[in-house]
Amino acid sequence: MSAHVKIKGLTITYRDDDGNEMVAVREATIQLARGETLGVVGESGSGKSTLARALLAHTRPGARFAAGTVHLGGTDVLALKDAALRRYRGGRAAMVPQNPLSSLTPHMTIGAQLEELVRLHTDLTGKTVREHALSLMERTGLPEPEMLAKRYPHEISGGQRQRVVIAAALVSKPELIVLDEPTTALDKTVEAKVLQMVADVQKELGATLIYVSHDLNVIRALCSRIVVMKDGIVIEQGDADRVFRAPKNEYTKSLIKAIPQIDVEGPFPPEANSCDQLLVKDLRFFYHRPSGWPFLRPAETRPTLDGLSFSLKKGETLGLVGESGSGKSTVASLIAGAVSGHQGLITLDGDTISGAAKKRSRGMRRRIQMVFQDPLSSLNPAHTIEEILVRPLRHHFGLTPSAARDKAVEALRDMELGPEFLSRRPRQLSGGQQQRVGFARALAAEPDLLICDEVTSALDVTIQSNMLALFLRIQRERAMTCIFISHDLAVIARVSHRIAVLEKGQLREIGDRDTVLHHPASDYTRRLLAAASCHVPDGNQAAGFPRSLSA
Amino acid sequence: MTVEALSPMAAPVAAPIARNRPLRRALASPLTMIGLVLVVFHLFLALFAPLIAPYSISAILTDGLTPPSADYWLGTDQIGRDYLSRLMSGGRVALLVALTGVSGSIVIGTLFGLVAGYVGGWLDDVIMRLTDALMAIPELLLIAILVLTFGKEIWSLSLIVGIVYTPGVIRVVRAKTITIAALDFVRAAELRGEWLSFILMREITPNLLGLLAVEFAIRCSSAILKISALSFLGLGISQPTPDWGLMVQEAMSVVFTDPWFLILPAITLSSLIIGINFAVDGLARAYGVTGTETDL
Repeated sequence: MSAHVKIKGLTITYRDDDGNEMVAVREATIQLARGETLGVVGESGSGKSTLARALLAHTRPGARFAAGTVHLGGTDVLALKDAALRRYRGGRAAMVPQNPLSSLTPHMTIGAQLEELVRLHTDLTGKTVREHALSLMERTGLPEPEMLAKRYPHEISGGQRQRVVIAAALVSKPELIVLDEPTTALDKTVEAKVLQMVADVQKELGATLIYVSHDLNVIRALCSRIVVMKDGIVIEQGDADRVFRAPKNEYTKSLIKAIPQIDVEGPFPPEANSCDQLLVKDLRFFYHRPSGWPFLRPAETRPTLDGLSFSLKKGETLGLVGESGSGKSTVASLIAGAVSGHQGLITLDGDTISGAAKKRSRGMRRRIQMVFQDPLSSLNPAHTIEEILVRPLRHHFGLTPSAARDKAVEALRDMELGPEFLSRRPRQLSGGQQQRVGFARALAAEPDLLICDEVTSALDVTIQSNMLALFLRIQRERAMTCIFISHDLAVIARVSHRIAVLEKGQLREIGDRDTVLHHPASDYTRRLLAAASCHVPDGNQAAGFPRSLSA
Repeated sequence: MTVEALSPMAAPVAAPIARNRPLRRALASPLTMIGLVLVVFHLFLALFAPLIAPYSISAILTDGLTPPSADYWLGTDQIGRDYLSRLMSGGRVALLVALTGVSGSIVIGTLFGLVAGYVGGWLDDVIMRLTDALMAIPELLLIAILVLTFGKEIWSLSLIVGIVYTPGVIRVVRAKTITIAALDFVRAAELRGEWLSFILMREITPNLLGLLAVEFAIRCSSAILKISALSFLGLGISQPTPDWGLMVQEAMSVVFTDPWFLILPAITLSSLIIGINFAVDGLARAYGVTGTETDL
């Protein structure tokens, strides 16, 4: 078996702000046969994207290839220059980047962009250019290519954009396709379809595929070989089955253990005879589109929330799951008071909640707390952690500065952070630590209801796993009532007592965790579950996903 | 990293604080260093020129134009005053006017920009349309009208600089405020029920400081140039106060016989402007202030 892709002793370094030479990738050696699929996994900052870019002889600004070689089918990739390099990129090797919106030009239609690439990378001329572009769009499963070709990137959905970018990568039938986290920004059901499409296309072209992801489920579904990276070092590589079944490296083991799975044990049940704490009845909400004219009433659009009713017992966690645009975050914003103007009834312990936070009583504001999705954006970068924690304590309880400081230390300790964090600023913390501070701030107010809006989606898997464990402990210790919002069923399965499924502003299903997960009543829930479990590593690959073609 | 560190309940240990020394990084760049030295030099001159200058700025020492000599290093001007002494003091008034005027525009502009960007709605519309209206008037025409209205005193020139520069500051601050107001920490403060003043001054403003510092410096350099241009046109600083713009204008009549009377004030003026711009460039890059959208 001759190697198609051969990376030998590749070291990539970059200069940090102080001018020190740092290593991004250290002596990576990888070999792949033609038609194999390689998954590169690792957490953020592990060097996996840097390694993938090296296959196109590309580095981020400031980085350089310090040592080693990259060969594709006998060509020394790193030695390519100018015209030869341009022909190589997009010709023999193609890359699908992570963010499809930023990799498409906003001022050109989809069709025009694809046609430009066809002209650049093939000998086609005249009408055939357009035909080829349209056939690529059809190949990547885009509906009505003729219509879609006339649209601009912002006029199509995220899933469609990613298909367009993949179509662009296929223009010249490349022998190597590098995909860098192409589905991270997509909903699970969309992701499953895009992955299926990628697998089909790869099989058809017989191309070698390198897939970079932090999501082990995706890698497992798609790839025959795996490379695990940490701190720029390839710490384990081998056959996908072998790595998943019998990982040799301790870090790989912990990664695999941290994979969110639906078949997990649920949280500790709440007290049996607790009473209803939160009641939501017939909740409706419209976003208003500004009319553009002064004094003219803004136009109402399609309802974001359409007649939602549910209740929540004390000490219970309700998992709210749905895809982007389902209205799950709007529910959180309405209950927390970040947006106002709903119809219907929301009560907490019998007190009616209405209007924006500003209009509510001070006590009510304290009783409902929220933890946000993006930990960095939820902490003021200009403040120290002490200021961030002390202010709410003084605001809600009227504490003296020193008493508030003591309570802040306590709140940090509760989140397993030491008092030395008080003097830090948010940017000096890791993502997981930032989110702990976010939790500490919310919990310091001693809320009756805690709303967690996608609190783990910005975190790496092992950190996410720690975060969820911490959440479960706190929830149980304090018998707190929580609404936990996520697009990820596996996360929801781990923390929720009950699960509500939201689609297009309507409640598709609500019920006990086990009932919803194992005996779903609605088609939509079944689709969500199928999308989530097509990656679940139960030993068998989902039908339709290719194994190594050369094996 | 060991497995223990990754086990679910392991407490994260505070990593050592990343040393972030933007100032040292800025000073490592020669251009920034040159800029800072020039700025410090000019500030020193502006403060102490009367003390270190060889002669008084208004003393008439000779009969008229004389070339450089041992007594008068740069010669004397048309009415016999020591040119070096006048050159040393030539930036004082312009600097003073620029500093006070721009400070005022930064304070007022920040207030309006914060309110427009954060509160939004009709208040935003009113503030921004007024801003647009002011910016629609050609700058030199606006200045000329204001000078004719308020006169050419130091205080009135400062006021005029303030009026001319405020709209730009409002725009920049408003744009940045809108970005910051969309972040979740502002949401958290709102959900807590904080006062408007707290959210504007304590949550948003600290994140504007880098931007404002850059704005301040860039607008100062622009204001100094504008004031010199005004003096050149006879709308700004007038005799007997020494001013580079005025000195260039005076030298116009002797430009072919004694060109250094024109070249010297031009060089001193440029060195101050270039100094400010180099210093701002380097500091802004080092402190990560980008996209100031300064429309100068």
